[in-house]
Amino acid sequence: MALLEIENLEAFYGRARSLHGIDLAVEAGTIVGIIGPNGAGKSTLLDSILGLTRTKGEIRFDKKSLAGLNPTQIVGMGIGYAPERGHLFPFMGVRDNLLVGAHTVPDEAEKNLETVYSLFPALRSREKQETGTQSGGERQMVSLGRALMSSPRLLIVDEPTIGLAPKICDDIASALQRMNRELGMTILLTEQNVNFAMHLANDIHILETGEIRLSGAAGELRNDPQLRAAYFGR
Amino acid sequence: MVNILIQGLALSGLYALLAVGFTMIFSVGRVLNLAYGVYIMLGGYMYYTAVQVMGLPKIGGFLFAIAAGIAFAVLTYSILVRRLEGNPVAVEIATLILAVVMQSLIILIYRPVSKSMWPVVQGVFRYEGVFVTYNLLVAMVVSWVALAGLLIFVRYTRYGRAIQAVSMDRKGAIISGIDPRRMNLLTWAISGALGALAGVFFATYTQLNPSMWVGPLIVAVAVVVVGGIGSIVGSLIVAHIIGFMETFTTAMIAAELRGVFTMVLIIVVLVVAPKGLFGRGEL
Repeated sequence: MALLEIENLEAFYGRARSLHGIDLAVEAGTIVGIIGPNGAGKSTLLDSILGLTRTKGEIRFDKKSLAGLNPTQIVGMGIGYAPERGHLFPFMGVRDNLLVGAHTVPDEAEKNLETVYSLFPALRSREKQETGTQSGGERQMVSLGRALMSSPRLLIVDEPTIGLAPKICDDIASALQRMNRELGMTILLTEQNVNFAMHLANDIHILETGEIRLSGAAGELRNDPQLRAAYFGR
Repeated sequence: MVNILIQGLALSGLYALLAVGFTMIFSVGRVLNLAYGVYIMLGGYMYYTAVQVMGLPKIGGFLFAIAAGIAFAVLTYSILVRRLEGNPVAVEIATLILAVVMQSLIILIYRPVSKSMWPVVQGVFRYEGVFVTYNLLVAMVVSWVALAGLLIFVRYTRYGRAIQAVSMDRKGAIISGIDPRRMNLLTWAISGALGALAGVFFATYTQLNPSMWVGPLIVAVAVVVVGGIGSIVGSLIVAHIIGFMETFTTAMIAAELRGVFTMVLIIVVLVVAPKGLFGRGEL
């Protein structure tokens, strides 16, 4: 069953159209990756799901249309978002950043905090450290953790490995896998790091200049000559 | 000298209360609310009306003043500022005009003459050459209790954290399920309450008159500019610098010059440290 369905989605910045008729379905319990270069429209697509851009077309979450809902209502329905560059609160400590993420579910804050600390043990020992003073990897952990704090059923993650060292990318990958397998969370992520996305995702969509060019199971696309030529150079 | 220090400390507490509501609105909404002095004026006039005209008890006067401050602030945000969101210059012009309109309304209702406010607490504290009115001491204590409550609210409660979140990263707050407009409304309501509370004590410290919104507004702007836009703690520190500076100027040089040094300080800080002494752009 599709948890998220997108039909003929167009997104606009002013008069400029940045997404052109996107069709996409994310099955419950899967990880779906959107791969594309800078400017392909990956962040715009994720922002559109959260109601942060002006759009046309249809987005449904758990069979309910998101049309006309504001981001607060959409987060309240069970969609968590870890955006590119985190958008953390730099002068607040790690714990307070995480607690802000539980704004829509205050009764679940303590339980979710423990879940986040079990996924990212390093954050527990740095509870009071202001996120503005943390490394990129730590900030990415806080960003993912904050998104988890709202008890989402769908987690959307924008370029989680951007600017991170390979070891940190591995940690992020294993945390995302645990969220999917142990917490049953459906994940939609965007990436430029093709290997990372291919390794994690069940299904992959290639997004270029606001259009989906290629879609399929990760295992099949890994050997697709078109994809290999474009992203692996062979 | 001890007398000046105590007077300065008491006045600084009042100034901190005067300025902090102004700081909060700028931090969260990124607009300068030039109608902020009206909350102070309304607080004074509403307390006067309740206690000295209607004969209500003082606590009723405070509640009446605070309710008026909250109502005016919430209406200002909902009817005016929210529609001008994204255009800070328009907000500044509109709120300044609103302040002038409110001044005219006060003149119409209360006549253009100054009125004396009874002190909230009568008497003068005297000890070995030190003397300070109980009214100013109570104003200081109430200011500190209110400011401590505000800091606890902002740092340790769900809505306080949400207000901080909006002030630090609006998109980060939105994707956490926080509605920035609701947080703005809450901030304006808190600002109205604090301004009106400060207004009661400010009116007893000076006197009631229809232009009394201007002086506190200049103090609030000075505290915010010198402290650094958006920092509550910075505002508290600078409120004390200005309070002590004014007390020293009044006692040692000339009372007429006390506001002049505040203005000079604003200009110096704008030139030397445009972000203020403690500014970091959030609560």
